[in-house]
Amino acid sequence: MSNLDNLKPPNIINEPGTLHPVNQTKDYLLTILADMGFKEIHGPEIETEKFNFDMLNIKKSHPARQMHDTFYVEERKGVLRTHTSPVQIRSMLESKPPIAFTSAGKVYRKDDDATHLPMFHQVEGIYIDENVTFANLKYIIHQILNELFGSNVQIRFRPSYFPFTEPSAEVDILAESGKWLEILGCGVVNPIVLENCKIDSNKYSGLAFGLGVERIAMLKYGMNDIREFYKSNLDFLAQFK
Amino acid sequence: MKILYQDLINHLLDKPTKELLSEKLFQLGHEHEIHGDVFDMEFIPNRGDCLALVGLTRDLSAFFGSAKPIHIFQGEIDPLEIEFENLSPNDCPMISFLEIEIEELPSEYKPYLENYFNTIGGNKTNLFTDISNYISYELGQPTHCFDRTTIKNKLIFENKDCNNNFKTLLNSEVTLTNNNCVFCSDGEIISLAGVMGGASTACSTSTKKVLIECAYFNPESIIGKSVKYNLISDASHKFERGVDISSQEIVLRRFAKIVKDHAKIKSLKLKSYLYNDVIKQSIKIPIDHNKINKILGTSLNIDEYIGFLKDLNFDISNVIKVPSYRHDIETNNDLAEEIARVIGYDNIKSEPINLKKTANKDETVIAKLESFLVKNGFSEVINFPFTTENQKESINIDNPLDINRNNLRVSLKHSLIENLLYNERRQKDSIKLFEISDIYTKDKVIKQQKKLGIIVSGRLRNNYIEFSKKLDDKYLNKLLNYVCGEDIFEIIEIPRNALDTKKKDKIFYTEINFENIPTSLFLESGRNKKAIKFISYKPISEYPSSTRDFSFLIEDKYKLNEVINKLDNSSDEIIKSSFLFDYYKNDKTNTIKLGYRFIFQSHHKTLSDKEINDKIDSILSPLLEIDGVSIPGM
Repeated sequence: MSNLDNLKPPNIINEPGTLHPVNQTKDYLLTILADMGFKEIHGPEIETEKFNFDMLNIKKSHPARQMHDTFYVEERKGVLRTHTSPVQIRSMLESKPPIAFTSAGKVYRKDDDATHLPMFHQVEGIYIDENVTFANLKYIIHQILNELFGSNVQIRFRPSYFPFTEPSAEVDILAESGKWLEILGCGVVNPIVLENCKIDSNKYSGLAFGLGVERIAMLKYGMNDIREFYKSNLDFLAQFK
Repeated sequence: MKILYQDLINHLLDKPTKELLSEKLFQLGHEHEIHGDVFDMEFIPNRGDCLALVGLTRDLSAFFGSAKPIHIFQGEIDPLEIEFENLSPNDCPMISFLEIEIEELPSEYKPYLENYFNTIGGNKTNLFTDISNYISYELGQPTHCFDRTTIKNKLIFENKDCNNNFKTLLNSEVTLTNNNCVFCSDGEIISLAGVMGGASTACSTSTKKVLIECAYFNPESIIGKSVKYNLISDASHKFERGVDISSQEIVLRRFAKIVKDHAKIKSLKLKSYLYNDVIKQSIKIPIDHNKINKILGTSLNIDEYIGFLKDLNFDISNVIKVPSYRHDIETNNDLAEEIARVIGYDNIKSEPINLKKTANKDETVIAKLESFLVKNGFSEVINFPFTTENQKESINIDNPLDINRNNLRVSLKHSLIENLLYNERRQKDSIKLFEISDIYTKDKVIKQQKKLGIIVSGRLRNNYIEFSKKLDDKYLNKLLNYVCGEDIFEIIEIPRNALDTKKKDKIFYTEINFENIPTSLFLESGRNKKAIKFISYKPISEYPSSTRDFSFLIEDKYKLNEVINKLDNSSDEIIKSSFLFDYYKNDKTNTIKLGYRFIFQSHHKTLSDKEINDKIDSILSPLLEIDGVSIPGM
């Protein structure tokens, strides 16, 4: 009998792979929202102008609808959705308040430079019920940002403009560098949008918000080049175990 | 747009510091950066009224009061006799013309005008154009100056189907196509309305007699033209966002006043055209503070409510009359935003709300599948859907970024092959990737399918059992179809000869529609999505890596663990990875053979042999001091 017979062999290392950091971040955001009571809904990436723009009160003259900002397909029969909001429109048409939806996924803009990609990811949420106010919106946004950046994070609301919300706000957090960083857009759902979705705007009101997944991921991981996400470099991906 | 701090201060009653001004600008929703005395403003697209000194100070006067009235020409102005026809009042419901002739051109500008060009106004061109630019900065209303002597006949405004060459006053030539709002005279287009004037009627440094056109163009009539013809102008930026429809005569009187400040006026004539039937009536909103409280969640009383609106220059009698320059306000939600801006969004207290829970947290098949693949060493990639490849069922993009990205991919295969080759070029020799994505194709209608693509090539895994085995169809078959009990995944080999690569390892690929995957299949439970680790990311090194293998002979089996531990723990900045790739027991000699691989790479440079050898020495010396451990041949 060899004296090596009862030798324990070295451990066999089986390195796992990784999920894409953008999808990890997206799922994380969705889980935060699911815990708050938002239900995830899905919709197509190729949309009609009606659902991507008209129903959301984005007028024909709005700059976003120009050929230089939005991808049109099949001789303008469709658009590559520029946000995940049309998913919410489709679901609102099929539901009665109270509703709490999130939609997440790929969106497209006709951009391609150092800080903008032609495809990126959004997570959006909408809540509609009786007596939903801007003060409620502030509460929800604080909850999300406290979950994401800790309970001590300093938050600033700035007036902004989105055709589908009024009042609208952009929300910043104070970074360690002392600079305010824009984190998300939000607002009180424009009553015109509710009416477009056959919801009585005298009885119901709503709040809505949207986050850019890459932006949150870059902040949380300390990245500064958005293009790294889409090179599919295994050395890059392996970091996000 | 750039605005001078001193100009803002001059128009405000209180004289806030830059810091306070900055704080209130953010509160109002006006993003900016401060460079010295210049506030570089970025306004949201529906606040065209703020694209001027007076517009912005109007907003700020809610906090600091308003100080300086604009001085205009107060006297009588003779009526202008002009041959003008407006063929499209819908596009231009209001237009005024001022004709000015001066005796002599001034030798220098008054300090307010000179200072503007010395700071933010850019280069001077000629007196009238300079005044026009200054007024646009001050009042937000663009004007256009024609050299009066160049227009001999009737002036026509029309929305015209064009196929004309047009030379701008900046001497660039563009071809106007389709419909454009233009001014014509003698059959020639002399100005692209709301965007830029033409060269043939432009003012020069010797112009003493001008015709100044001052109009309201409907934003819809102007929008997109400056981008289409690549004629970026201050005027188009303002007209696209909407100017004040009731300000044209005041603006021209201001023009006359500034000319008068600089030269003796020989003649001054004015004519306005207002097309009442196409002008949008001013918006009126009933007074209702409860509505606002219901939107904002505040408890304002009626006096506070009216006070805020008066601060913002709303005219309030029995209703709230929206000022003509505020194109963004039509409803109570708009008013709520106005009031919230003055209160400060950050000063509105948040109010807890409990969502009536509707969430379902079922583990989806995707989550299970992802966990299964990741556990087996696969990494997920995400690719852009754009491709040049055009199949019958491809969705075509009407306006692609470029000709190489004019279709949507009909399969994940090509993206994943690209990803594989990219990683092979970076010396990866064991590659397992997957992508999950919706794929869009057309038949009669647009079809959406969720697909999973998996690609493998190279070593099975980097451990001593599987290092010398290759990823192949058997591996994928066992991994995927074995679990299913039937051949659901069709596994194909992708031939290397058509690819730009010298590697020999076979490539295997499988793609499947999600709906064909049995839901009961992957019994892995999904991961805890909330337990994400936000690691501190390190940028990837683009410098080459170097691989070194070492073969150890261990004569004392009790030293095995010590050797492996020392090797596994030899981390260093330039060691990218290291692993045991061979383990062999020789029962005849009672010795153990280990194969261990180091991959070196620096984040800062290409490593020299010396640097690598020095590092290896420092790792190996302590190992070789252990009794019974050696590297044969060393």
